[in-house]
Amino acid sequence: MIEAFFFGPCGQQIFATYHPPLGGNGQVLTVICPPFFNEYMRTHLALRELAISLAERGQHVLRFDYRGTGDSFGELREVSLVDWQEDITLAVREGREISGSSRVYLLGVRAASLLACSAVDLSSDVQRVVLWDPVLDGSSYLQSLRDIQMVIADRQLWLSRAERRRVKHEYAGYVLSEAMEKQLVSFDASAYLSVPDGLLRVVSSSTTSFPIQRVPHTVALFNCEWNTAAEELILARPVLERLVECLTNPS
Amino acid sequence: MPDEPLVEESLQFGDGGRLLGILTLPNLRPPNAQELPMFVFLNAGLLHRVGPHRLYVRLARNLARMGLASLRVDLAGTGDSPPRLGLTNEQSVAADFEEILSVLATYGGSRAIVLAGLCSGADNAIRLTLNERRVVGLVLLDPVCSPDDGFHTRSLVYSYTNPARYIGWLKRRLKGQATQPLGGDEKIDPLTIRDVPSHEELQSAFERIGDRGGRVLSVFTQYALRYYNQAGQLGRVLKIKGYHRFCTELFWPEADHTYPLELHRHRLVKQVKTWADVYHST
Repeated sequence: MIEAFFFGPCGQQIFATYHPPLGGNGQVLTVICPPFFNEYMRTHLALRELAISLAERGQHVLRFDYRGTGDSFGELREVSLVDWQEDITLAVREGREISGSSRVYLLGVRAASLLACSAVDLSSDVQRVVLWDPVLDGSSYLQSLRDIQMVIADRQLWLSRAERRRVKHEYAGYVLSEAMEKQLVSFDASAYLSVPDGLLRVVSSSTTSFPIQRVPHTVALFNCEWNTAAEELILARPVLERLVECLTNPS
Repeated sequence: MPDEPLVEESLQFGDGGRLLGILTLPNLRPPNAQELPMFVFLNAGLLHRVGPHRLYVRLARNLARMGLASLRVDLAGTGDSPPRLGLTNEQSVAADFEEILSVLATYGGSRAIVLAGLCSGADNAIRLTLNERRVVGLVLLDPVCSPDDGFHTRSLVYSYTNPARYIGWLKRRLKGQATQPLGGDEKIDPLTIRDVPSHEELQSAFERIGDRGGRVLSVFTQYALRYYNQAGQLGRVLKIKGYHRFCTELFWPEADHTYPLELHRHRLVKQVKTWADVYHST
């Protein structure tokens, strides 16, 4: 049975769900770093399914919500990517304490891939980083969120001019802090270069290439519709199967 | 960022701890806490307990700042709660509700309950009201409604006189996306993909709330335009004596079903707070 709990400092607590291993030796802890904003809601169910699959294969799994998102404390407009980097580090520490495992794998989804890779520097326990459709450039990612916002705004035909101006400052329906905007713009694929050789694996739902040639890259075709205003849940089973392989394969 | 006025606790309850919910409590218990109802947020479709654009989290925390406790829960088959096999949706939701009442009793005794939900959350809230006397309040976001006498005429007039529609068509045309004929927007009837309560169930739910001395807040957005297009339509089709005494009915055609814009979320939160504030004055 999963265990749901809050951890972290008072008033800034992070919500997490821990999936204990249902078999095997339980040596590995996988910490799932969910994607941001609209993609967080759309992948919640898929990442839960992934966690269950990994637990069935003998892994400890920790899922969590960054501060200002999901059930965690705080408001999105008050947090930055630095806070979220810290959240990953705290989640790894919490997961290690709860599981007793010292072998940590990280899964980064979309823009969280950039954060997951930066967390490798901060935790020497991370022995594998698997990325699902990693965002390669923060600036383009932010622009795609803006494009989604425009689609949402265009659907609202009753907005006054002043309201329309206001909503243009949101990203896919979310209000970000100025710091978050700036940090996202500054993110680029160089974050992936900082990961030591052999740790990184990539699973893509499209034929998009990954800029670092030596990184093992698997393609599991599935139309995730990341850059659209779609609100449907993404249950990318072919991708999830590949992710399970990448996270459980011993080599 | 610290959020001292409230505390949150994750609850795993029901048979084998299968249901997961987050209990939000005011940090300082108001002296009349036992007299105040507890809010229960029911999943919007397949979305987990945080609600679309985190709407339920925001509502729950704002209510807690007013001294009102709430539980946002994943019903079986949504979010982190596994499905109950072999049951219909209605049976499964009813079984979940038994367990919700049971766990809430440990926190609030037999306190009154306000059920809140968007879309299918509203549908479930309406059905659950029928058999549970403790339900004395409903917050229904885009609930079901039958057409009244003037609905079709209004719909027709609206289709051809709404300038916003022409503006939208023109915009699509300018962008080279004029694949839809004018006036031929989305084809899917939203209610066909929902397991909506019948008119009789809806009417009974409202009557029972009225009999229990309770209150209802209903908000209809542009999503509901295929079945609701004028403020007051719900009251007219329900024909319940004293409807306006205990029901607040709002028509917000400018807002979208899942409240993707902050200004609409803000407006909704403010509205729910105003509606809930009455619990302090009664």
